[in-house]
Amino acid sequence: MKFNRRQTLAGLTALLGTAAMPRLSFAQDAGVLRIGALNPITGAGAPYGSGMQKMILQAAKLVNDAGGAGGRTLEVFAEDTQTQPQAAVLAAKKLIEVNKVNAILGTWSSGISLAVMPLTNEAGIPLFNTSGAPALSVAPANEKHLGYRFQATNDRFGRAFAKIAEKEGFKRPATMAFNNASGIGNTEGFRKAWEANGGEVVASVVYEPSQPSYRAELQKVLDAKPDVIIMGSYLADTTVILREWYQTGEENKWIIPAWAANPKLAEALGPDVVEGIIAVDSISNEGSPAFAAYDAAYQEALGQPGLSNVYAAMTWDMVIVLALAMEAAGPGADIAAITAKLHEVAGPDGTKVSTFAEGKEALKSGPINYEGASSVLDFDEFGDVTPDFSASVFTGGEAKRNYIVKI
Amino acid sequence: MEAYLIAIGIFAGIYLLLALGLNLQFGMTGLINFGHVGFFCIGAYTSALLATNGVPVALSLAAGGFAAMLAAWPLGVVSIRLREDYFAIASLGFSEIVRLVVTSEGWLTKGVQGIPGIPRIFPGVSSQMQSMLMFGLVMVLCLLAILAMRRIVKSPFGRMIEAIRDNEEAVRSLGKEPAGFKMQVLLLGSLLAGVAGGLYAHYIGYISPDQFIPFITFQIWMAIIMGGVGRISGTVAGVIILMTFLEGSRFLRDVAPFIPEVAMASIRLGVIGLALMLFTIYRPQGLMGDYTKR
Amino acid sequence: MTGFAELLFSGLMSGLIIGLAGLAVTLVFGIARFSNAATGDTMTLGAYGALVGSAFTGSVILGSLIGLAAGALASVVSYLLVFRPLQGRSPISSLLASIGLAFFIRAIIGLVFGHDQNVFQLDIVRPIKFAGIRIQPNDLKFAAVAISTLAVVFIILHLTPIGRRMRAVADNPLLAKVSGISPRPVMLALWSIAGAVSAIAGIILGMKTVVSPESGWEMLLPAFAAAVLGGIGHPIGAIVGGLLIGVAQELATPFVGFTYKIAVSFIVLLLVLLIRPKGLFGRSEGVR
Repeated sequence: MKFNRRQTLAGLTALLGTAAMPRLSFAQDAGVLRIGALNPITGAGAPYGSGMQKMILQAAKLVNDAGGAGGRTLEVFAEDTQTQPQAAVLAAKKLIEVNKVNAILGTWSSGISLAVMPLTNEAGIPLFNTSGAPALSVAPANEKHLGYRFQATNDRFGRAFAKIAEKEGFKRPATMAFNNASGIGNTEGFRKAWEANGGEVVASVVYEPSQPSYRAELQKVLDAKPDVIIMGSYLADTTVILREWYQTGEENKWIIPAWAANPKLAEALGPDVVEGIIAVDSISNEGSPAFAAYDAAYQEALGQPGLSNVYAAMTWDMVIVLALAMEAAGPGADIAAITAKLHEVAGPDGTKVSTFAEGKEALKSGPINYEGASSVLDFDEFGDVTPDFSASVFTGGEAKRNYIVKI
Repeated sequence: MEAYLIAIGIFAGIYLLLALGLNLQFGMTGLINFGHVGFFCIGAYTSALLATNGVPVALSLAAGGFAAMLAAWPLGVVSIRLREDYFAIASLGFSEIVRLVVTSEGWLTKGVQGIPGIPRIFPGVSSQMQSMLMFGLVMVLCLLAILAMRRIVKSPFGRMIEAIRDNEEAVRSLGKEPAGFKMQVLLLGSLLAGVAGGLYAHYIGYISPDQFIPFITFQIWMAIIMGGVGRISGTVAGVIILMTFLEGSRFLRDVAPFIPEVAMASIRLGVIGLALMLFTIYRPQGLMGDYTKR
Repeated sequence: MTGFAELLFSGLMSGLIIGLAGLAVTLVFGIARFSNAATGDTMTLGAYGALVGSAFTGSVILGSLIGLAAGALASVVSYLLVFRPLQGRSPISSLLASIGLAFFIRAIIGLVFGHDQNVFQLDIVRPIKFAGIRIQPNDLKFAAVAISTLAVVFIILHLTPIGRRMRAVADNPLLAKVSGISPRPVMLALWSIAGAVSAIAGIILGMKTVVSPESGWEMLLPAFAAAVLGGIGHPIGAIVGGLLIGVAQELATPFVGFTYKIAVSFIVLLLVLLIRPKGLFGRSEGVR
């Protein structure tokens, strides 16, 4: 060996130290609140990640343009989770230790959020996530109540699926799930709710992604003669499965989460294939001013409709809710005080507001209730939201919202 | 800042354990193992499952290493006699099967939900202390592994495996059977990978199947190739390069803010690819490699 | 029964894609003597080439030809820049470099095209019924393309002068060299054929599924399995191997569980290596 362990370590430390130096020089200055955007730019979350990140940046810019929040402007540090817990953990460490962020926003898959949350708990800063796993609501993961979830839990999604299937009068549902926590979480949540109502699930399949064909999987489900297939899936696999399904000539209906049954799906398959598909979404208030603002920003940044990325609407809301809490907590408040205000600005009571500027103004005269772009955003005691769900039916290649389900 | 560096140090130590095992297998014996992450996975899951069921961590870590070693045995029996690149493909397939089993057999592994709340190795200390102690433990284990490697290199066994690497036919004509030695090397490397897996599981606190993809294996490969195959100093240097690169690329944006975030991940992948190509073409002996050999 | 026949047919379709990718692997292995891990990403490149080509020309067929050319070109360039300098070194070096190349290609694709999924705009039609079995017109076209590809490769290898030289190099590189066969044109021909075949596999895969930067890499292991099963270096063997793996995946997974689908190809691979390492059609080569 040419050099020993101590030299090695010293070398490593020195190397990384120099790399980090420029950051340290402008550590805590009073006029800025640093936030970390920790999104899945690559890996399984890549179709959503860059949109999520851009919306954090855009929303932060909006807040800053409106004169900042609580006398401070937001500074965003962005990192890629690579949709890998290991990379996410190091990224979170970097955001916390090097960039000294006061909040981490936008972790996507449950695996990532579960791996990052112990770190944000240790640092005493909030973690805003868009993951569905029920484990994120409770201890040990959320023992400090610093986890805030902008997405409905898998169980809530499952309940909404069951309500919609019931309302539509389906009798013989089958399920197909992508083999990961969220996919299986949705279909199992559905099964629980459906069977609790005395129903029966006629077939269920869990599949691995990236197959050249899903014919065998489909056949197994179709053999049970379902009148509807409930999916726990993503865009790419849904595209292939629906195409192959249409080519079998079967006529059953589909209930699919809206992150998979989105405009890109219709674009990929054409109006005939997607006709009649029921897309279920936690409500993105398309009619609301908050959504209009988000949609405009998304169109401008990515050239696509805001509806095509439900997670980006959530990250948009994250920044605005955080900024409103900062404003409510007043100048110089620390992150604990700001976090304590989150329930207030995004609870059921108060003047309804839809943008940061509006909320900032309304806060002068009393409590507010931010009605978000992704949902109405009222946190419960676990930091979870219980959005309403919409059932949208594809007609002529476009999803038209039919009705709203409350769970 | 220190906590971030210590975190990097812990990951580097875990990678070093993996790389030392791979260096023993490829660098010293010529065994192309593309399934290293499979043994890492087995170690992580064994240790995590035992520890969450109340087994003391010291014991579960050891069991993780042992389980990985045990799993390597059937792979070796089936494929160790194959030509080197066939073994490479077989081992890659093995690691994918391990991942699929862990994903699918939820009754045992909690499947896609993963295992949260894996106990820390040192109970009842502050988080900072935890990191320091963890760092210390990882470093001690690395040191032990390095010492063991040096002993192996200098032993008759070490000369034998190097002979197998350089000329398998010659070894065979001397009446020695290379397969047996290769098997021992495979088992040893897997033991290290298993222990590394256990450390990883207890440090990160949450494991799920998608943490154990083949890309991890290839990162380790890049480390030993850039550092210099067959040399322990090369392995150490390679892991440092790998970690500096993986984490350093995060800071690249501070220097070059014009690179869009989205491009960063592709750039990272591209640089790993480019490094693998350039090093195999222009500097196959790696940074620390021996010019006199190969 | 019709269900069984339909699964069989669908397995054959998946198998053709796996087999074409396996064909590219096996061609390179037979002549350049190493396992080319960049095959999967060359497939992806071909699919993106075809997407861009289709967008430009407005025709999927012309676009696919452009994709094919892109695959062949990328393959030749990778030979000239990466694999030729490694000639004469151990096959491990080329294998490692090909993994590097695979990552590099995928990174470039990610940089240029982003990570969103892309699809070919093909008409999606209801099936035609043949003896009670539902068959996709598109699938028949894909099968025809795959079989013609194999036929063309076969004709080139067996009926053209360059093909004869390629086979001579494959049989015995040293003997070929002393007989005055210049390796350079042989290698250029080999790499352009391998690249074009990969591109065709990638384009068909893209048409059947969706195109994303990772899609080809995911096919790499089944492709290796097909090549080994068929007897590495044996073109028809690779196709047959691919078909067998495709069918095995479709027919076995309803029983062993769909999540084990990819495992099927590895199990097949391990079994072949254990029982008949030279593969179905392989001549006894230095496998052990």
